[in-house]
Amino acid sequence: MDVLKEDQVLDCSGMLCPMPVVKTSKAIKTLEVGQVLKMIATDPGAPPDMEAWSRQTGNELLRSTQEDGKFVFYIRRSK
Amino acid sequence: MSVWKTNDPEVKKILYIQTHGEKDPERTATPFFLATAAAAMDNEVAIYFTMNGPQCVAKGNGEKIVIPRKGGNGRELKFFIDQAVEIGVRLLVCQPSLDLHGYTMDDMIEGVEMIGGAAFNDMACDADAVIGF
Repeated sequence: MDVLKEDQVLDCSGMLCPMPVVKTSKAIKTLEVGQVLKMIATDPGAPPDMEAWSRQTGNELLRSTQEDGKFVFYIRRSK
Repeated sequence: MSVWKTNDPEVKKILYIQTHGEKDPERTATPFFLATAAAAMDNEVAIYFTMNGPQCVAKGNGEKIVIPRKGGNGRELKFFIDQAVEIGVRLLVCQPSLDLHGYTMDDMIEGVEMIGGAAFNDMACDADAVIGF
């Protein structure tokens, strides 16, 4: 896998729906267009949620993986 | 002029309808947190409270209504209301359903807006999705 470098990390471990989406929505707005947010979550609904969120908001979900029982997402602010 | 504020065709409009209140605490939180998620996806979102729904947004009830949870430790409805309001979800009521409970607008928490049946139907026709509870 290519190495992705994040500009900001958001740890949503332990948070339940809809908090990871809400926090991601706020965090992405603090980045410049083109910058990357790394978001970590434990909510089992997070992978489909982040995919839907990215599709709806037009931000790019670069990677969605599972590491050590946690879900890790890399999202690029696209607009 | 629609109650919806956006003119941007890319912004979707989602209208939730809440008909439940104090008697059904387990049915009160979901519209708030789905609306919160929708707003976090940059949609324009409103919840219309009718029938028993206005009880959810009456002053003091956010603290009084506790969402039950198996094993205890239920959460106050206020948590879900605050989350929704903070992210820009609009809360709407109509006069007849306030009358049903003897409420006036003074009994509603801050930010609640009054609309009528015509405005509601107009919003529904204009919405990209209408979701009832």
